[in-house]
Amino acid sequence: MPSQATALSSGFDASVTPLVEMHDIDKAFPGVRALSHARFELRAGEVHALMGENGAGKSTLMKILSGVYTRDAGDVRLNGQSVEITSPRQAQDMGIGIIHQELALMRDLTAAQNIFIGREPRKAFLLDEAALNRNTQAIFDSMNLKLEPTVRVETLTIAKQQMVEIAKALSYQSRVLIMDEPTAALNDAEIAELFTIINRLKAEGVGIVYISHKMDEIKRISDRVTIMRDGEYVGTVPAMDTPMETIISMMVGRTLSNDALVIPNTSANPVALEVRGLNRGREIRDVSFSVRKGEILGLAGLMGAGRTEVARAIFGADPRESGEIWVNGNRVGISAPQDAVRAGIGYLSEDRKQFGLATGLDVRNNIALASLERFTGPGGVLNDRGMQDVAQKYITQLAIKTPSDTQEARLLSGGNQQKVVIAKWLLRDCDILIFDEPTRGIDVGAKAEIYKLLNALAEQGRAIIVISSELPEILRLSHRIAVMCEGRLTGVLPGGSSQEEIMRLATLRPSAVAETHSERRSA
Amino acid sequence: MLTRRTLLGAISALALLTAGGAASAQENYDIALISKGFQHQFWQAVKAGADKAAAELGVTVTFEGPESETQVDRQMDMLAAALSRNPDAIGFAALDSQAATPLLQQAKDAGIPVIAFDSGVDSDIPLTTATTDNVAAAALAADKMAELIGGEGKVAVVAHDQTSRTGIDRVDGFVNRIKENYPNIEVVSVQYGGGDQLQSTEITKSILLANPDLKGIFGANEGSAIGVANGKTELGSNIVVIGFDSGAAQKGMITSGVMNGAITQNPVGIGYETVAAAVKALKGEKLEPVIDTGFYYYDAATMADPEIAAVLYD
Amino acid sequence: MTETAIPAAKSGPRISGAFHRLLAFSGLIALVVVFSLASPNFMQTQNVLAILQATSVNGVLAIAATLVIITGGIDLSVGTLMTFCAVITGVVLTNLGLPLPLGILASILAGTFCGLVSGTIIAKLKVPPFIATLGMMLILKGLSLVISGTKPIYFNDTPGFNQIALGSAVGSVFPAVPVPNGVLVLFLVAGLAAFVLSKTALGRYTFALGSNEEAVRLSGVNVDRWKIAVYAVAGSICGVAGLLIASRLNSAQPALGQGYELDAIAAVVIGGTSLSGGRGTVVGTLIGALIISVLANGLRILSVAQEWQTVVTGCIIILAVYADILRRRTL
Repeated sequence: MPSQATALSSGFDASVTPLVEMHDIDKAFPGVRALSHARFELRAGEVHALMGENGAGKSTLMKILSGVYTRDAGDVRLNGQSVEITSPRQAQDMGIGIIHQELALMRDLTAAQNIFIGREPRKAFLLDEAALNRNTQAIFDSMNLKLEPTVRVETLTIAKQQMVEIAKALSYQSRVLIMDEPTAALNDAEIAELFTIINRLKAEGVGIVYISHKMDEIKRISDRVTIMRDGEYVGTVPAMDTPMETIISMMVGRTLSNDALVIPNTSANPVALEVRGLNRGREIRDVSFSVRKGEILGLAGLMGAGRTEVARAIFGADPRESGEIWVNGNRVGISAPQDAVRAGIGYLSEDRKQFGLATGLDVRNNIALASLERFTGPGGVLNDRGMQDVAQKYITQLAIKTPSDTQEARLLSGGNQQKVVIAKWLLRDCDILIFDEPTRGIDVGAKAEIYKLLNALAEQGRAIIVISSELPEILRLSHRIAVMCEGRLTGVLPGGSSQEEIMRLATLRPSAVAETHSERRSA
Repeated sequence: MLTRRTLLGAISALALLTAGGAASAQENYDIALISKGFQHQFWQAVKAGADKAAAELGVTVTFEGPESETQVDRQMDMLAAALSRNPDAIGFAALDSQAATPLLQQAKDAGIPVIAFDSGVDSDIPLTTATTDNVAAAALAADKMAELIGGEGKVAVVAHDQTSRTGIDRVDGFVNRIKENYPNIEVVSVQYGGGDQLQSTEITKSILLANPDLKGIFGANEGSAIGVANGKTELGSNIVVIGFDSGAAQKGMITSGVMNGAITQNPVGIGYETVAAAVKALKGEKLEPVIDTGFYYYDAATMADPEIAAVLYD
Repeated sequence: MTETAIPAAKSGPRISGAFHRLLAFSGLIALVVVFSLASPNFMQTQNVLAILQATSVNGVLAIAATLVIITGGIDLSVGTLMTFCAVITGVVLTNLGLPLPLGILASILAGTFCGLVSGTIIAKLKVPPFIATLGMMLILKGLSLVISGTKPIYFNDTPGFNQIALGSAVGSVFPAVPVPNGVLVLFLVAGLAAFVLSKTALGRYTFALGSNEEAVRLSGVNVDRWKIAVYAVAGSICGVAGLLIASRLNSAQPALGQGYELDAIAAVVIGGTSLSGGRGTVVGTLIGALIISVLANGLRILSVAQEWQTVVTGCIIILAVYADILRRRTL
């Protein structure tokens, strides 16, 4: 047990009964000890950040508080009273709301129907759709959110879906609000809106648990920070007065070296990938760029700028209207992902669980998935032994943390899942790798490892494109930075350019003004 | 939309082609046959007989039946559609006579003559019935069984179903003849396999395993009989097997000796007589109330006899 | 008929949803037009009524299947459950000699009870719906044979019974259009099901379950209870189908029923309901069921050989689903 318990009440009057107290919480899953003597405290009117690497137990602890899991041991108190929380319903009734990291919305239902699921206003035994939409509108208004209650969630962007989740939590009149990475998919304007709402709730005396990996956000919004590591409590510190490095070292249990960006001279290297005049509707407009071998090209822009669309079009995942793709000086016809893979292009999607990883398969099979023909012997029998050797090689080479190559991929942490996907493309001899948000949902320690890996891949002569919404990440990695805005490439900057320069290109065209001013545009 | 429309165009073209194919004779009567089944070889043989009569007599015949002999309501839909077509005569083998009564009444009211075939119809509306006497046919199977097992021991029956007329008649015909004429023979088990070969095989094996001293099994239709013979082969048993109907598989088994013999109806004759009777009715000729289309016992020795070979089908 | 998709949604997919129903509907109209042109016998009142009559049982079963499929489940037992309910009615009316209303009640209660059992096995024991209802399909098939003594039970002692499907309340008022009562029952069931789907909490949870069951659970909804309720309602609708078929045949045929679930599911799919759950409409299913019976009837009227009828039906099912995929792609 760490010994920083004294910091628990720092900055607060210890005589006031906390809203939530959790002590000595244990939780085990088959084969995994998720929590051991974990503890947490939340006061009314406080934003309390919960930090730790993936697998540190933050989400598990909060799922216990919100009734999704039941604890094996320990004590949970609400306003000083010991309570048993056995279901999400019960947690809601006690005023504990949670916004899940993975959006828990029903895509085929409307926003209003989602928000009031399980508590639909009724007239006699019939649903009162009018009241439902009225109530929802009221919540949206209070959030200053421009959204129709009757819009189907399926048609919304991830950011808007997140807003619906928040509206849903607000609708419970929660006194405790748990936000698990609420800004993962939000742009700056939306984050500002969210923080306005958080501050308002705080003023009303709501206690907010804020789980995030983004250090700047933690500094901006939270009052205290509790740090967890390996399912255990490490300590609680005031957010303002604690240096970022201290928090990170508490999280990873060591100090991280802050590698500076080194830009290799790649100008003499041959061009690996060239894109000429790529077009698709309003999403991609006349995009041309190239990446050399050994180079890391950052693709920056605001959400909706068309970065992922460009990547998917190159990869053949979406059709393109026009444009040529040249690999190693040869024009290649790509109309489906298998064409791209044959040309040596690998794409690592931002949504690993949905597109990148066969979560039900083990590590070995995930790595071999794109290269099965290589392991197919006579009669179509798979050479398991060969697959195992190769998997072991990559597990060592990429330092994938897994008990064995037969571990199911879904049981790995986000960073290690990402490495498995990288191994898959490396095995397939993909020398052009497109990383879409490679560190989304990955904790600080693992992030540094992924960065190191990307640099190593570039040094080996692979061409790399990194798409990221986090400017520090772009700046930390890119040898050159291509910036997009509203489907167009607005400029290519040298590595180490300033954030301001990137933001200028990313907002080159005033987005609020519609087509009438399109002539003014120039890149 | 476009594709659907194109397809429909193709369908109607196909339809016209099919309908036009046989329509060359001077009378050109349109006769709709609604049978109890379709895919089964037996029904295909009935259809062949009907087609033969159609060609000889210069009439148009359509032949339809539900996929399985349990689908009573589907047969009603077929009968209703046939009536809507306004044919000159209808041939009908009822799965359930009572269910068909309202539609048959409708046919009578519209002046469309109805000829029953195979298991017939429990009603006075059909002018005649072209059928096999199933009770007598199964009794003949019982006689042959008794003869082959030497007049004593245990036997069993694997039949197709418990609800159809043929199922009931064949089981009753066999069981009653044994009871009445062969006091030393005991029918230890009557089981139903839906006419499905595989299911009947499993049933046969379980009967054989439960009664090691069993002397013979009667398979009451084509599917059941093949199933019984397969079960016998799988267990390496040497019981007497008597089948029903023909078909390439059953004929092969009789030739090879796995099956001792079988009763055959005359399905081709049933189809032929039904159409012939319909034409007679349309021409105003008088009809007997029942047209017996006959049945025979055949085995490896008699299979090639011209009289037998003519009524066997593949 | 009322709108049964997610009500009041103003966004794109709903317009395309309406478009798809329009597509299925125009498909139906196109079939009718083609058959009418090809044969003068097709559009006769008597034949139209025959088509509707032929749709009634499959239509009611398909509505039951629709509810379950929208939850993301599947019900393979609808056909034999229908038979089971018919047999129960036979026992109550013929074997026990009880009055007609009790027979009707017994059929619907038997259906509801079996649906409850299926739902409980699926929700509480976590047996996948495909397996649970496959088991129920066989159990009910066997029980129908056991209870009936393997013989059809006739309703000759209950004179009014065949009026449920064959009588015509409409015809007694307008003798020119003797729409059989069975068809009225179909539309009544469709109307009620559409109402339940769009206006009640049960309907809302039906869509929600198919859309994201985990999300519903995390919202504090008693998922198991609602899932069981959906299967129970579907079961009660099968009970109605049991009454219809028994009344039409004036007998409970214990061996019938297996295979009917596939026709029901085909109607559901042609009607644009997604097999992966979350979306679907009763109107669509009704159109799907009509397409199947119009096709069967029309091809028969045109004397198309039976082998080809089957081929064409298969093609139409694939085309209809492909149209749905095209619609989603252009979303």
